[in-house]
Amino acid sequence: MGFVALDGVGKVFRGRTGAWEAVRDFTLSLDEGEFFCLLGTSGCGKTTVLNMLAGFEAPTSGRIMLDGRPVSGPGADRGVVFQGHDSLYDWLTALDNIAFGLRLRGTPKAERRATAERFLKMVGLAGQGAKHPSELSGGMKQRIQIARALANDPRILLMDEPFGALDAMTRAVLQGELSRIWAETRKTVLFITHDLEEAVALATRIGVMKRGPGGTLKAVVPVDLPFPRDRTSDGFMRVFREVHALIHEEIHGAH
Amino acid sequence: MLTSRAATIAGYVAGFALLFLVWHLASVFLVRSVLFPSPWPVFERAWVLIEDSILQEQILASMRRILQGFLLGSLIGIPIGLAIGSFRPVRLLLEPWTEFFRFIPAVAMITVAVIWFGIGEESKVFLIAYTTVFVVIISTAAGVGAVGRDKIRAAQSMGASQLQIFALVALPATVPYILTGMRVAMANAFVTIVAAELVASNDGLGKMLWDARLFMQIEDIFVALISLGLLGFATDRVFRLLIRAFAGRFNPTM
Ligand SMILES: Nc1ncnc2c1ncn2[C@@H]1O[C@H](COP(=O)(O)OP(=O)(O)O)[C@@H](O)[C@H]1O
Ligand SMILES: [Mg+2]
Repeated sequence: MGFVALDGVGKVFRGRTGAWEAVRDFTLSLDEGEFFCLLGTSGCGKTTVLNMLAGFEAPTSGRIMLDGRPVSGPGADRGVVFQGHDSLYDWLTALDNIAFGLRLRGTPKAERRATAERFLKMVGLAGQGAKHPSELSGGMKQRIQIARALANDPRILLMDEPFGALDAMTRAVLQGELSRIWAETRKTVLFITHDLEEAVALATRIGVMKRGPGGTLKAVVPVDLPFPRDRTSDGFMRVFREVHALIHEEIHGAH
Repeated sequence: MLTSRAATIAGYVAGFALLFLVWHLASVFLVRSVLFPSPWPVFERAWVLIEDSILQEQILASMRRILQGFLLGSLIGIPIGLAIGSFRPVRLLLEPWTEFFRFIPAVAMITVAVIWFGIGEESKVFLIAYTTVFVVIISTAAGVGAVGRDKIRAAQSMGASQLQIFALVALPATVPYILTGMRVAMANAFVTIVAAELVASNDGLGKMLWDARLFMQIEDIFVALISLGLLGFATDRVFRLLIRAFAGRFNPTM
C-alpha cells in the first residue's frame, strides 16, 4: 500500500436539490516524494477529492489512509494551498502568515522568524516579509500560501488549482518555481489542475478524471521526463498528446 | 500620504466654510427672521458661553455619559456577539432577544429608565449602553459569520485547535466588524443622549437645548446644535482612524 491510499472513495452531497454524487469509487495510491497531478474538467470532482484527503469533507464511502493511518479530519500532516487567496490572514504580515503554523505549535519566536525567512526566500520574496497580503499581487499571495504550507513541514502538500486565477505569464513563472521547490524539498504533492500543459510540466504522474456526476479516475499516465521540463521537447509533446487524447472526450462531452 | 492628509483637512475646512456661508446667505437673504440667526451672533454667543465655561460643562456632561454608556454597551455586546456568531445554540437562544430589543429604540426606553434609575447619571448611562449593545452584538456576530471558510480550513490544516482558531483567526478577522458596529452605535448614542437629556437631566447639551427653548434663547439653541454636529463629526473621525489603524490595511473601503 502506498504512502497515501484512497480506496473506493465516494462522495454524495445531499442538499435542498436532492442528492448529487460528486465522486464515485475513486481509488488511487501515491508514493512518497511524487508529484501527482489530478487533471479533469470543471465540476468533475477534483476539489471534492482533495477536500476529503485534507479532511475538510468526510467520504460517504471508501477509506482514505495516510502512511497507514486513516484520515479523519484536517491535520498538520497535510498542508493545503487553496485556489483563491482568501485563506491568507490579512491582518498579519507575509512573514507572520508563513510563521502561523509554527506559532500554533509554540515554536520560539526567533526560530519561527528564521524558518519563515527561509521559506520566504525559497518562494522568491526575500525582503518582502513586512508587507501585508493587501500589498501583494495575486502571484505573490500564492507564493506566500505555498511558503506557509511548506514552513509547517507537512507530510504531503495538497494544492487546488493554485495558479488558476493568475495570468499566463505569472503562472508559467510560478510553475517553474514550484517545480524547483519540489526538487529541493521532495515533498509529496497532490496538485489539482484543469490545465493540461501545467500537468505535463509539473507531474511525475498524471491522473485523468472522468466527467461527473460520479467523477472518478479514468487513467494514470506516468511522465518520465527530466526536470526542468522543456515544453518544446519531443518527449513533452508526446506526453501532452497522450493525455490530451484522454481528456479530449471528457471535454467534448462536457458543456 | 502627507499630501493626501493635507488635502483631506483642506477639504474639511472648505466644506465647513461653505456650510457657514450658505447658512449666512440663507439667514440674511432668504429667511430674515429673528428665529433664524446668522452665524456671526451664534459664534459670539458661543464665545461668551465658552468664556463662562458653560459650554464646556455641558459638552463634558454629555460626552461623559456617552463614553461611559458606550464602553459599557460595547463591553457587554462584543462577547455576546462573539458567542452568538460562534455557537449555534447560543445564536438560537439569543437571536430572538436581539431581534426583539433592537426594535425598541432607546428613546422609547427613556420613561422606564427614569422610573428605574431616576434622573441621575445612571438612567442616561443605561440608555446609551442600551442603544449601543444591540448594534455591537449584531455586527460582531455578523463578523464572526463572515470569516472566510478557507481561513479556518487553512488553520485547521496547520494543526490549529478550536481555541486557536477562535483566538487567532475568528477574532482578528472580526475586529473590523466590531469597530464598524461601534461606530454606528456611537452615532446612535448622540441621538439617544439628546433625547434623554431633554426629558430628564440637570445638565448636558440636551438640557441646554431645552432650557434655551423655554427662554427663547435662539442663539443658545444653535450653539448646542453646532456643538453636537462638531462633536459627532470629531468622534466619527476618531473611529475612522481606529478602523484604519486596526483594519484599514485589509479593508480599504472603510
Ligand atoms: N457542498 C456541495 N454540495 C453539493 N454539491 C457539491 C458540493 N461541492 C461540490 N458539489 C458538486 O460536486 C461536483 C464536483 O465539484 P468539485 O469537486 O468542486 O469539482 P471540480 O473541483 O473538479 O471543479 C460539482 O457538480 C459540484 O456542483
Ligand atoms: Mg475545483
